[in-house]
Amino acid sequence: MAFAPMGPEASFFAVLDQHKASLLATLRRGGGEPAGGGTRLASSSEVLASIESVIQDIITSVARNEAPAFTIDNRSSWENIKFEDSVGLQMVSHCTTRKIKSDSPKSVKNFALILKILSMIYKLVQSNTYATKRDVYYTDSQLFGNQTVVDNIINDISCMLKVPRMSLHILSTSKGLIAGNLRYMEEDGTRVHCTCGSTAVAVPSNIQGIQNLITDAKFLLIVEKDATFQRLLDDSFCNRMSPCIMVTGKGVPDLNTRLLVKKLWDTFHIPVFALVDADPHGIEIMCIYKYGSKAMSFEAHNLTVPAIRWLGLLPSDIKRLNIPRDTLIPLTKRDQMKLDSVLKRPYVTCQPFWRKEMEIMADSKMKAEIQALTFLSSDYLSRVYLPNKLKFGGWI
Amino acid sequence: MEALNSKHQANTLHCVTTIASAGSIYGGLVLKKFLKEIQSILPGFSAKLNWTSEEASCSQDISGVTPFQMIFEVDEKPRTLMTDSLVIKNFLHKIVMVHPKIKFNFTVKVNGILSMEVFGTKNEPTMNLSNGIALVISCQHYVRPKFGTAELLCSRIHPVLGHPVMLFIPDDMAGLGLLGELILTPAAALCPCPKVFSNQLNRISSVSIFLYGPSGLPLILPSQEPPTTTVFKDTSYFIDWKKYHLCMVPNLDLSLDRDLVLPDVSYQVESSEGDQSQNMDFQGQTLLLFLFVDFHSGFPVQQTELWRVHTLLTTHLSAILTESHSVVQDSVQVAVDQALEQHHQAAKDHQKLQVSLSVAVNSIMSIVTGSTSSSFRKICLRALQAADTQEFGTKLHKSFHEITRHRLLPYCSCEMKQQLLPEKNAEQSTEDAHENSSLELLAGTGEQVENKRLKRGCLRQGMEETRAFHSARTRSPSEAAACRTKPTGASLTPSGSRGSPGDSLEDSLWQQEVSNLSEWLSPGPEP
Repeated sequence: MAFAPMGPEASFFAVLDQHKASLLATLRRGGGEPAGGGTRLASSSEVLASIESVIQDIITSVARNEAPAFTIDNRSSWENIKFEDSVGLQMVSHCTTRKIKSDSPKSVKNFALILKILSMIYKLVQSNTYATKRDVYYTDSQLFGNQTVVDNIINDISCMLKVPRMSLHILSTSKGLIAGNLRYMEEDGTRVHCTCGSTAVAVPSNIQGIQNLITDAKFLLIVEKDATFQRLLDDSFCNRMSPCIMVTGKGVPDLNTRLLVKKLWDTFHIPVFALVDADPHGIEIMCIYKYGSKAMSFEAHNLTVPAIRWLGLLPSDIKRLNIPRDTLIPLTKRDQMKLDSVLKRPYVTCQPFWRKEMEIMADSKMKAEIQALTFLSSDYLSRVYLPNKLKFGGWI
Repeated sequence: MEALNSKHQANTLHCVTTIASAGSIYGGLVLKKFLKEIQSILPGFSAKLNWTSEEASCSQDISGVTPFQMIFEVDEKPRTLMTDSLVIKNFLHKIVMVHPKIKFNFTVKVNGILSMEVFGTKNEPTMNLSNGIALVISCQHYVRPKFGTAELLCSRIHPVLGHPVMLFIPDDMAGLGLLGELILTPAAALCPCPKVFSNQLNRISSVSIFLYGPSGLPLILPSQEPPTTTVFKDTSYFIDWKKYHLCMVPNLDLSLDRDLVLPDVSYQVESSEGDQSQNMDFQGQTLLLFLFVDFHSGFPVQQTELWRVHTLLTTHLSAILTESHSVVQDSVQVAVDQALEQHHQAAKDHQKLQVSLSVAVNSIMSIVTGSTSSSFRKICLRALQAADTQEFGTKLHKSFHEITRHRLLPYCSCEMKQQLLPEKNAEQSTEDAHENSSLELLAGTGEQVENKRLKRGCLRQGMEETRAFHSARTRSPSEAAACRTKPTGASLTPSGSRGSPGDSLEDSLWQQEVSNLSEWLSPGPEP
């Protein structure tokens, strides 16, 4: 790429390159990318036909003097989720469902709101326009009550119609940021050039619409927290480790950030690493990138990147680096419950090193934020910790 | 009750009232003492008492012979007899509201014309109160069903019990020898059930207070004038209405001529214009307030002791309640608040439902009308047999409301689990109960049971009192029990005076008698 900053010598990336080769080999052994299941991009006419079919069913029920209801897959039940190493968490084909009835006081409002949003989607798709989830909420904020209601209904509709949210012409305002060695063109023709400077670019709202992705990056680093991400930018980490890409979802990632990470992996097959706090919450966030979430398991194929590796901060690093105990934070009861819950997840069984790290955390009853490394030196993270990890393969 | 034209006095009926029990309810009564007490009350009634021998009365009911019988004789003006009968009927009705196991056969025979009414609430849904009293919760006893709305939805009241409070006995009553505690337990309910008026939000328009003493006997005897004591005159004694932005005024227009249980005290909302709307009770909801006063002492309370407490309460209740104002108001207020909370919740649910259905229908309409797929639109229109989208919209809206209305409304409190007897369809239960009453009644009439369901509203041609006397219950299911026979000199028992069904001679004789009686009772100038 033109004006690419000078990074380390080629030999620095030797282990990374090996890792990439091994990932590619695994992909080849697995017969390429896993076959797409769950939702798939649907054409506008398909979406319109699906909505019409739903309406037709409702009218048929009404004509029969029966109270209409929506049947929606139970997205948040573990019994409906299976784990597949190559995909992550995904919904089983014959999952349990729940009914959203029009004749139940508890669900009648939800029933009406689904119809309301369905009618909005119908119009958006017909007119080939897009709206954000926030736009949807503000069409009648009093009726919806709060944004979460809208978000959940959109996910329910996506799950019910078996089409990704994008096909419903519903976008969300991205909260994620991206920086580093990457260029692309957005759906409307806008050319975006991410830099290694101190300014990051917002993750686009329409990930499916971005084209012409170009990068020389050797790896993609997912950073859990915005503060750490900014610190790495300030420390010119991208330049020093160039060529690379950094992404942050600012905590629990939104769909666009996850879609982008997935798109970058699918397009370039570069190693993807996660830098999260050494606490149960950080591990959970990393798991969302890697294996997906329960709630969005129906769209796992579009969202998960099982190739993600845990780069840091590992609980074992705390001891290895002699980080003083007083910079650590005791696990709260809630942390311990979260840790126990993550340890019980189906994917942990195929991650013995992760399990070991989590057990170290459980035994020490302590957690550490990435910022704990600043005790060693203010730029320890960008100058020592991460370069060493990347150079010597300190990921699991 | 049997009345015959007095031989000694013009325009006067000689009435013989017999009170008999089919079961052994007299247990515990010391008959001599009871007789003495009754006699002390009777002068007020200008009646004389005949009592079967105590030995005979005490004998066991082996042969089915009535073991307990009292006979009163009195000369009454016809109009007084009418009023008295209505008062007695209300008294009996009020008793069966808390004693569903008891059934009263009330028979009046005027110059051979028999009118019979059965009061019983067996098989009706009840709510068991902590003091062992079972309160009948069918709406029909408290308000007339609103035409076209009430009959399909919830037909029950859902009483909320207040906490029992101990009443303070005023110092000047200390000498009356009340050795025990008086406990008041309030229960509040809205009637009809807030769910009934699904299509409109209702407000409270009146308050009915029912007073019950120990053993569940009506506290203020119906023969008395409506209470004029301070406590009951003060509409804010029991409830602070300001809290609910309501202004209550005493309702003095209490007609006995209804098949409803007459409250002991009634208030109604003063309308904003200052006039008391006469139709209020037909439009809004009535807050029912039941006040049960019970008596407890450290020992098992004898029947006679309860009777004494009861008599005492009827005369001193107001003073006792005045003394206990704050505790009584607290307890009542809690029960009322909870009952009204149900009301508000129902109103809220109703509003939520309306909004939701409207959103659902509008959304469907938006998709159907906005669709460019003619086949889709055609299928939709055909499904609802609509000619155009406008008709489709109307039909969709109507159908949606029809389908969801019945399923959504009679829920929650209508499926009360708390202290109710096993759930039964209230309408059905009520029907069953009346059916049973009729059957029981008929069982006593031998083979000619058909005749029991003779003409209704027999004395409609007569004057107001006459109508009240005989056919006040024309809208009540109980009227099925009202029956009459041709005038014969037969005994008072129902079985003794039956004609054959469809007998035209009997019919004409009956008509003749009605006509005679009406004429005879007409409010013309006194001879």
